[in-house]
Amino acid sequence: MAAQPRPIHIEQANYLEGGGIVGWLTTIDHKRIAILYGMSALVFMMVGGIEAMFIRAQLIVPNNTLLSPTVYNEIFTMHGLTMIFLVLMPLETGFFGNFLIPLQIGARDVAFPRLNALSYWVFILGAITLNLGWVFGSAPDAGWFGYANLTSRYYSPGPNIDFFDIGLLILGVSSVMGALNFFVTIINMRAPGMTFMRMPMFIWAVLVTVILILLAFPALTVGLIFLFMDRYFGTNYYQVIAGATPILWQHLFWIFGHPEVYIMALPAFGMISEVIPVFSRKPLFGYPMMAYSLILIAFLSYGVWGHHMFATGMGPVADSAFAITSMLIAIPTGVKVFSWIATVWGGRLRFTTSMLFAMGFLIEFTIGGLSGIMHASAPIDLEQTDSYFIVAHFHYVLFGGVLMGILAAFYYYWPKITGRMLNETLGKWHFWITAWAYNATFFPMHFIGELGMPRRIYTYAPNMGFDFWNKFESINAFILGFAFLLFFINLAWSTTNGERASSDPWDARTLEWSIPSPPPIYNFAIAPAVNSRDAWWVMKYGNVESHGLDGTAAAPPPATAAEIASIHIPAPSLFPILIALGIFSMGIGMLIAWYRMILIGAALMAFCVLSMAFEYPRWGEEDEHAVSESFLGLDMRKVGIWSFIGSECVFFASLISTYMVYKARSQGPFDAQILSIPLTSFSTFILLMSSLLMVLALAGFQRNDRFWGTFWLFGTAFFGCIFLGGQVYEFGDFWLEHGMVFNTNLFSQCFYTLVGFHGFHVFIGVVWLITMAIAGALGKIDSKRALSVEICGLYWHFVDIVWVVIFTLVYLMRTIKQA
Amino acid sequence: MAPGKPILKITGMLGALVAAVLVLTGRANADRYPLDTLSPKSDLTREILWLFKEVTILDSIVLAVVVVALGLAIFVFSSRTGEPGAPSVKHSDMWLEMAWTIIPALILIAITVPTVRTIVHTQPDRWPQGALTVRVVAHQWWWEFQYPSLGVTTADEVHIPANRVVHFELVSEDVIHSFFMPAIGGKRDVVPGQVNQITLDADVPGEYWGQCTEFCGIEHADMRFRAFVDTPGDFDKWVAHQLEPPVKPDSGPAADGAKIFANAPCAICHTIKGVSGFSKEYNFGFRGPDLTHFGERTTMAGSIMDNTPENVAKWIENPDALKPGVKMPALGLSGPELSELVAYLESLK
Amino acid sequence: MSDHAAQPAHAVGHHRAEEAHHPGPVTYIVIAIVLTILTAFEIGVFYAPFLQAILVPLLIILAICKFYLVAAYYMHLHFDSRVFTALFMFPLWLAMLIVASLMLLFLYLSHHLVT
Repeated sequence: MAAQPRPIHIEQANYLEGGGIVGWLTTIDHKRIAILYGMSALVFMMVGGIEAMFIRAQLIVPNNTLLSPTVYNEIFTMHGLTMIFLVLMPLETGFFGNFLIPLQIGARDVAFPRLNALSYWVFILGAITLNLGWVFGSAPDAGWFGYANLTSRYYSPGPNIDFFDIGLLILGVSSVMGALNFFVTIINMRAPGMTFMRMPMFIWAVLVTVILILLAFPALTVGLIFLFMDRYFGTNYYQVIAGATPILWQHLFWIFGHPEVYIMALPAFGMISEVIPVFSRKPLFGYPMMAYSLILIAFLSYGVWGHHMFATGMGPVADSAFAITSMLIAIPTGVKVFSWIATVWGGRLRFTTSMLFAMGFLIEFTIGGLSGIMHASAPIDLEQTDSYFIVAHFHYVLFGGVLMGILAAFYYYWPKITGRMLNETLGKWHFWITAWAYNATFFPMHFIGELGMPRRIYTYAPNMGFDFWNKFESINAFILGFAFLLFFINLAWSTTNGERASSDPWDARTLEWSIPSPPPIYNFAIAPAVNSRDAWWVMKYGNVESHGLDGTAAAPPPATAAEIASIHIPAPSLFPILIALGIFSMGIGMLIAWYRMILIGAALMAFCVLSMAFEYPRWGEEDEHAVSESFLGLDMRKVGIWSFIGSECVFFASLISTYMVYKARSQGPFDAQILSIPLTSFSTFILLMSSLLMVLALAGFQRNDRFWGTFWLFGTAFFGCIFLGGQVYEFGDFWLEHGMVFNTNLFSQCFYTLVGFHGFHVFIGVVWLITMAIAGALGKIDSKRALSVEICGLYWHFVDIVWVVIFTLVYLMRTIKQA
Repeated sequence: MAPGKPILKITGMLGALVAAVLVLTGRANADRYPLDTLSPKSDLTREILWLFKEVTILDSIVLAVVVVALGLAIFVFSSRTGEPGAPSVKHSDMWLEMAWTIIPALILIAITVPTVRTIVHTQPDRWPQGALTVRVVAHQWWWEFQYPSLGVTTADEVHIPANRVVHFELVSEDVIHSFFMPAIGGKRDVVPGQVNQITLDADVPGEYWGQCTEFCGIEHADMRFRAFVDTPGDFDKWVAHQLEPPVKPDSGPAADGAKIFANAPCAICHTIKGVSGFSKEYNFGFRGPDLTHFGERTTMAGSIMDNTPENVAKWIENPDALKPGVKMPALGLSGPELSELVAYLESLK
Repeated sequence: MSDHAAQPAHAVGHHRAEEAHHPGPVTYIVIAIVLTILTAFEIGVFYAPFLQAILVPLLIILAICKFYLVAAYYMHLHFDSRVFTALFMFPLWLAMLIVASLMLLFLYLSHHLVT
């Protein structure tokens, strides 16, 4: 499917036109991918909203029998999963992130366009997997955070939790790929002159968000892998047999889960930071502190996860530590709220629907944040946690906060995305009905929470003080649903009847408003030269502090036909959707335990990954990802592989932590009895030497010595195979000589999992090396292409480094058991 | 053009007024709402309430500042056509930024210090000599209460003496639950594989309600209990009564019911001391609540309904209809046999 | 994949030419020898009875040395832009924080086994 990049014709008006269905299925244009994400997320918003309506319908009166507890438990679980993973995240990063990042930084596309498409296709198939449970009458039903050991095969025998497990694993893959892409894009592809401190605040927000995604999702992945092993292979990661504890799931989940809520909050902060300055005709107040506070929030978010576990009995030291860190994180958040208010203060305010939602965001998010401070105090939380008080808190921050921010962004960016204005009258009705109905639905949840109503209950007894407020909330929830109907009608209406939008209908401040609405495929005909913050404002009015009320804005010089004709757009590709289908097939194969389907899926995936890797640039062509394009002078793929390595650090840290804590609790055969130092010393030596061979290979290619380069590559792969052989021998020896199988005890399961995953990484590395070596043997690698060997090398050395850690912690620091 | 400023003002004030009225009327009657978290009746919950009040006041101040500042900004600076004067373009102010970093930090310190003090104070690792230990065993979907030092076992309803330190040990037979007694104990999760604790000293005798607050499966909503704080005299009487052997009716429907109990599968799950209940090794008699003194309990089936003969009959006939997913099977009893069994159970006072 | 009319202005000073400061094969081989010696030390420490008391800190130090050598020289971090070192350091610290926190949290839990 490899095709040469094709030149652009001037007649091609905008990115939405042309290509047909196949064009959409094979697109790698970030704007189209954004539309795919956006439309999917809007559909799931309706699904999640209907699930919410059912919840409120069941809870409208006490002892209601509208829904059985089985169905209710599935509905509240899916409502949470849908809203978080299938609505908020895809809208913020998949839709707005994808669409706006290149436009705001003055780039033509993201760093890895096909990876971008792959992220989407994996997302939608993961979303389908999660919802497949409905089709089989077994939707996930243990809450969106699915606490072990309720999720074990014993207590949840049906496939409900399998849909949860595998669905989330697939979605996690999509998120990490998308995050990596955006990270490299923002680091590397900013327009000339756009330093970090001149980026739009939305870009700052997304940058920090994707760092959070990269470093939080691996913990969830490990947790889900353990759950999978418990349910399918009979291990005991989360059971109470033989020393394990279900608390491990909670730790792994919330180490992911707390950054996750900031993953949802931060992009909305970014959107608000775009909307408010434009409709106040003022620059964002306190830009540097706004940027630093984002970084501080992200940093701290890894240290507060225990506040979700205050009731679990972590002990006074842990409770105090997490209470303190949770209070700390309120400080940078408060700085942001005050800065936004200061932005409004003194401005010339225009209350478009977008601005109204931004104002709503400020109040609602503040309320949510303040109730959060209550929960941060552990003793208070012992009354509030798992009650409707918490439900109120997170709906205030996620709905009143994040979703209103997203709605503000919808009303603001819809003209840019579709070229049509939304109906302002309908928008204002949407806002005012929402403002009332939303607060009327969720504020009273504070009251019933205080009155002791637990969460996740399918019904409640009368005369507990819950009756009136539940009815009140339910009625207003239906009104809120109606308000959303107005929103969807507005969206649909505008696509045909909306007033056509100019390139800058709001007189805005950032670069995306300097190009037509909707944008052409290539975004910018000429790369903008950036000299300050609010680059577009400065181009129009001369400087950031100008209020732009006098005189007309300067228009950007139009691109010449010659300039446009010289733009090359990368060709669409079929491989992203095929790779996604391979992954989906593996997931479904695991769900229905049909192993052939797993193999076929894996084969399809492997074949398409290899094909996509060699799709272009075609051999003999110049590598288009030139360093000169990069802002920091760094190659994009190198930044990409280091980001991936960072993510893998957290992955292995989660595996290693589990090994360390469980080996102490394990009963039965333990490491000192089983592990063989002599054998492993040899393997360690081999792996270290393989790193030497790898750098020799790279050095060979860098001095254009193709023979030695290829030779050392084969050597590295060979040594890798020896290492793997050693592992196979070792595992076999443990099995046959010691009778130690996967689920013999905690030690065995953790050992096999940790060392097994490392071995799997080695295996992938060997495949990669052999591929590169064959390419080298065919004469395809020279000094100009040496970077691809360097990338492979970085992965290989990282795998070696992980082994250094494993060798030390697992083999050499053996447990000394008392006799 | 600033739209709807009057609407904004009026709606906001009206909404706040309505909410205030409802909240105040609600709180005025809070004591009769049995799960209320703001009516403390023990030392533990009083400390929590103190913290809650402090945070609420501080939170309200901050909210007021934000609402007033934003509201003022909106009203004063909405654009009007023909408005003279250019908007300010000030976008930084070091003193202001320092102020809104430091003042919130100070407020947070004022919350954190008493928080940490309360955490340490309410999680002691030692108890006074005279403390009573109650072992709470959580099951899907009912609560069992054991008094190891006294030799008492019961279910659904726990009795504790007032003005005496009570130390609850929380264990689970299956999944994670949470033991929530808002008036006297706050909550603590019940995690299989570990023993969690709540230590408290309740000082107001009365009946307090509780519920499971960690999603634990299909009937999580119906896993409730009652906590009775008795005067020390009443508590001793209750303990003495629990230690007495069960009533053995000689004649009448209750006596027939006793025979039915002995022959029906009831004994496999339910203990009546001396009548049924085998060793724990075989897991007989421990899957369901201890029924030795069932007749004197006020509630049943996870405290979801009152203990009346009608309810008992309905329950035995078809437990799943009242609590879908419950582990107790319908035993196929009906008619006169059923009423005799009910009579027997209700006679177990 | 596209042309720029203007050259990017490298406002940030992280710009080291990739080809400068390249260690030669000799350096790499020397490092490999050092790594082998360090590994031999580790195994020696493991078997030496008189070092058991300080086994853990000694092993950690040796592992850090090996880690550093591979990262700085084989992965070229010492010679590359500092951006890459930052990209690696932050997740590394986070990883260590996760391992340390979980070990501490579970240390407390081990006092709460079922009695």
